Amino acid sequence: MSVLQTASIGLQKRFGRQRLRKILLGSIPFVVLLVMWQMNTAMEWLPPVYIPPIASIWEAIYTLSEGCADAGAVLSMQYECLFTNHILSSLGRVGLSLVIGIPSGIALGVLAGMSRRFAHALEPVGVFANAISGIAWVPLAIVWFGTGWLTTLFILLNTVFWLIFFNTLLGVRGVPRVYENSVMTMGGGRWAIISQVYIPGALPSIVTGVRMSMGFGWRALIAAEMIGGDSGLGFMIFVSAAEYKIEEVFLGVLVIAIMWMITDRLLLIPLEKWTIQRWGMVWRPD
Amino acid sequence: MPAKLVVDRLSHHYPDEYTGEDVHALDQVSLSVEDGEFSAVVGPSGCGKTTLLNILAGLLPHTEGSVQVDGREVQGPGPDRGVVFQEHAILPWRTVARNIGHGLEIQRLPRREREQKVQEFIDLVGLSGFEERYPHELSGGMKQRCALARTLCANPVVMLMDEPFAAVDAQTRITLQEELNRIAIATRKTILFITHNVDEAAFLGDRCFIFSRRPGKLKATVKINVPREQRIWKDLLSEKAYTDPRDEILRLVREEVFDDEE
Repeated sequence: MSVLQTASIGLQKRFGRQRLRKILLGSIPFVVLLVMWQMNTAMEWLPPVYIPPIASIWEAIYTLSEGCADAGAVLSMQYECLFTNHILSSLGRVGLSLVIGIPSGIALGVLAGMSRRFAHALEPVGVFANAISGIAWVPLAIVWFGTGWLTTLFILLNTVFWLIFFNTLLGVRGVPRVYENSVMTMGGGRWAIISQVYIPGALPSIVTGVRMSMGFGWRALIAAEMIGGDSGLGFMIFVSAAEYKIEEVFLGVLVIAIMWMITDRLLLIPLEKWTIQRWGMVWRPD
Repeated sequence: MPAKLVVDRLSHHYPDEYTGEDVHALDQVSLSVEDGEFSAVVGPSGCGKTTLLNILAGLLPHTEGSVQVDGREVQGPGPDRGVVFQEHAILPWRTVARNIGHGLEIQRLPRREREQKVQEFIDLVGLSGFEERYPHELSGGMKQRCALARTLCANPVVMLMDEPFAAVDAQTRITLQEELNRIAIATRKTILFITHNVDEAAFLGDRCFIFSRRPGKLKATVKINVPREQRIWKDLLSEKAYTDPRDEILRLVREEVFDDEE
């Protein structure tokens, strides 16, 4: 008992009481699910063809990485490292789409936010493209680019770019005029206004756009990889299902969810804290 | 010595945003502000005070008449005229120090000199210890001190102030008025201060320009003959040199406010 108590006090000190409680409460549904899953294996309610045992999912990682020698092999994406290759190629596509989509979305969004004429020209086509964005493009993209990188990247960019564009546009429009005026009266030119007023002022909206586009982008990517990909987690799930390797399907689904949670918690939420919360530009409930 | 700010027969019209009707905001306004003088513009709301300020700042183009600062015609905004806006004009994503140094940053002053200047003005407006705070952590009064320091730090020829204390509470306003008076003396700035508050105009101004209702015309000019060094609220309230011209301004402004109700 005393060991547990010291451990609990140590944990409380490390994370803070409130946060610890939040983490504990949030993990309850997961624990319930895991227990039920494990019970299913023990009681044999549903056969392993439908719900594989937890251990077999763990094993699937090893099966998929058979022959993969070390971290060097993983990083150089050698053929044997199937599991990590699928993860890396999905991640690579997301990364590439962000590298292209964020700067171009922000640039055009700022332009459209500044100039009515530009906005009038781009807004209708944006609404049009946004309506089709995502999976509806897949068949056409396969015709144009074949299966593989270009198709999946195209699908992702279609989601990422427009979301960031629209959010930047709205963000820039929402920046109070007086900020712009004050920089102008200090002698600031157009570039100073863009970099010191519009972009930081639109940042809350841009960060929301990035979060949204990551969320929607992930989903679109998985779908695109299933039909039009030649690698990636979506592709892995699809191929494994066709081969009745149900534990690999489960593994793929879990990895997708876990990776999304990691990016959101470790990347996007801290980004929000560092910028807009520090500037007092966002309403905080607690 | 020529005046620092000269406005000559300035008129301004603009189409109303909703009805499209022609609004006559300013009519043949002529005034001048001497070097180091504190001038106040008073008038009822809608008399074109803010329009005048926006034209002087260069944010609004003028078509009739002329505006000269230091002998040069105003064409667009420029660092020779610093503006202190009503409220919420300092950038939320910059700390107090970075906001105050913003003008110098735009003028590309080297970092070391800039930091030195910034510190000087932080001390002058009494914001020492708050250098690294963000605006949302400051009170309304402190935000306006920061805005004042930002404008002063860029060292403009003329400082234009647009009802800067209108949004703060009465107690803070009194303190800020006395502070501004002290700072104006210390920096010897040429100031045009816009307000609808008669007491404020008479307390701060060497001269007060009283505007008529729309179309805004310069109705009268009232001089306040109290040395600026002696202007402290508790002494001034019983001083005839202050109360007489203040009552005169009040009378002139009230004529404008109540004219159409009779």
